[in-house]
Amino acid sequence: MKFNWKHILAIGIVLVGFGFSNQTTTPLYLDVPKGWPKPKYDFEKNPLTEEGFQLGRNLFYDPILSRDNTISCQSCHLQQTGFTHVDHQLSHGIEGKIGTRNSMALINLAWKKDFMWDGGVNNLEVQPINPITNPLEMDEKLENVIAKLQASEKYRTLFSKAFGDEKVTSQRLFKALAQFTVMLKSSNSKYDRVMRNEEQYNEREQRGYNLFKTNCASCHKEPLFTDDKFEKNGLTVDETLNDLGRMKISNKKEDYLRFKIPTLRNIQFTFPYMHDGRFKTLTEVVKHYNSLDHNKSLPKELAKPMNLSDNDRVDLVLFLTTLTDKEFLFDKRFSHPRE
Amino acid sequence: MIKKGIHSVFLFLFCFQTFSQSKNDSLAVNFHLEFNKLPFELNKKYVSANNDTLVVETFRCYISNIQIQYEDKSVFIQKNSYHLLDSDNPKSFQIPITKKSYKLISKIIFNIGIDSLTNTSGALSGDLDPIKGMYWAWQSGYINMKIEGRSSSCITRKNEFQFHIGGYLQPYYAMRKMKFDWDKKADDDIYIGIDLYPFFSNLELKETNSVMIPGKDAMKLANYITKMFYSQ
Repeated sequence: MKFNWKHILAIGIVLVGFGFSNQTTTPLYLDVPKGWPKPKYDFEKNPLTEEGFQLGRNLFYDPILSRDNTISCQSCHLQQTGFTHVDHQLSHGIEGKIGTRNSMALINLAWKKDFMWDGGVNNLEVQPINPITNPLEMDEKLENVIAKLQASEKYRTLFSKAFGDEKVTSQRLFKALAQFTVMLKSSNSKYDRVMRNEEQYNEREQRGYNLFKTNCASCHKEPLFTDDKFEKNGLTVDETLNDLGRMKISNKKEDYLRFKIPTLRNIQFTFPYMHDGRFKTLTEVVKHYNSLDHNKSLPKELAKPMNLSDNDRVDLVLFLTTLTDKEFLFDKRFSHPRE
Repeated sequence: MIKKGIHSVFLFLFCFQTFSQSKNDSLAVNFHLEFNKLPFELNKKYVSANNDTLVVETFRCYISNIQIQYEDKSVFIQKNSYHLLDSDNPKSFQIPITKKSYKLISKIIFNIGIDSLTNTSGALSGDLDPIKGMYWAWQSGYINMKIEGRSSSCITRKNEFQFHIGGYLQPYYAMRKMKFDWDKKADDDIYIGIDLYPFFSNLELKETNSVMIPGKDAMKLANYITKMFYSQ
């Protein structure tokens, strides 16, 4: 076959076309389940793309973010346990150093107004600055992280795919990480299927759900199972930690020992419980609420004794296990990019 | 060889001309860092009004939302107006804002620090990049002004004093708005002095040498720093 200039031009146009299509990104959207509130995250300032999400996913699982390249986000936020650090009361980081709090589960972050047990972080995008720079966690300087990523061919390619060129900046790093973490949505537990009339609770689960609605739901508000506020829950202060809670951030006396009300989704697997991980099992947690000292200054939601019987407690815990979302815990989209 | 030499001379002249031209065209706000009305020097020994002998090793400050009001009621508002003045980078103290003109300026307005909306706007770039060391991790928010150094009055590790002044949540919103009446034409740069002397006059370093969180103390210092700024 003989090529003439027309053929070459046509091929050229096709190639240029391919070149352009490689430059464009694939938009990605977070589906809001029916009946859920509007997300708090501002997607307009960080439009999600498949390429941004994949960059964020790679960063999330990469120990390159830490000083000695040993600790990644995953180290304290493991997918199979609701993206938290199980079995440790207080999470540990670089060189086995132990932090002062139990790591939080990363679930439905798009609906959260602020972050951390004391709400000190005001935007999902700036959250990673904490673990990266904390001397007990990753202990790395932001400028070193940027330099390491810029020197990596893999990341130059990933940044280029997500943002159009190879330049690594902290803004791009944080936007990409947020694109991954904002997508961590859990909305397909048995509870959700029951609410959608696709499944039914058995008698005991239903009893547990009724007890939950009477005793727990005012703070652990459906469907997110948190109202995203801070509250006291009758825990005495651990004098080895002396954690002031929300007061450290707000400087307000009334916030002493107030901590973020966490979501109860996937709670079966996110043990231990509370900001300092003092309870190993859900049974202990329920017992704590069932035996509160009502002389103490407690929020109005906890003012009335629960008076749960042994059977009630079992049923309540049974209901809590229906908040487990296996699809979320084993979703390949959220797993280590090599897997 | 000679030809090459001539080329570089031309190149030099060309560059010089374009540079000086652009410099002449733009109206800049020039901040002068001083100690008791004399040009400030890093690591130089100074004595405060309270007889504290001190050395300043770091001075950094955000200037934001610069506005120029003219006699004819027109207003110039700089877009994305966030500037970090850094004692390690003298050039950062000159901020080009708009074109020179013969209009009469009646007011210069700017903020010391970063507004609350920007403080909650997520990951930002340029002078607002958290890499600049003016961002708190554990409690999101920008440090409006950072003054660090040493003084024998400080009974601290290495005699250090550290002031990280910031906070965007009420009632501890530490940003300060500055307004200067002006009566000069916009054909010459605007000069504003930042004098560290009044700041240290308000303190006894023996008592106050470390403020690094938002709160009451930071609010007090935020009031002191407004006294550092004056029109020249």
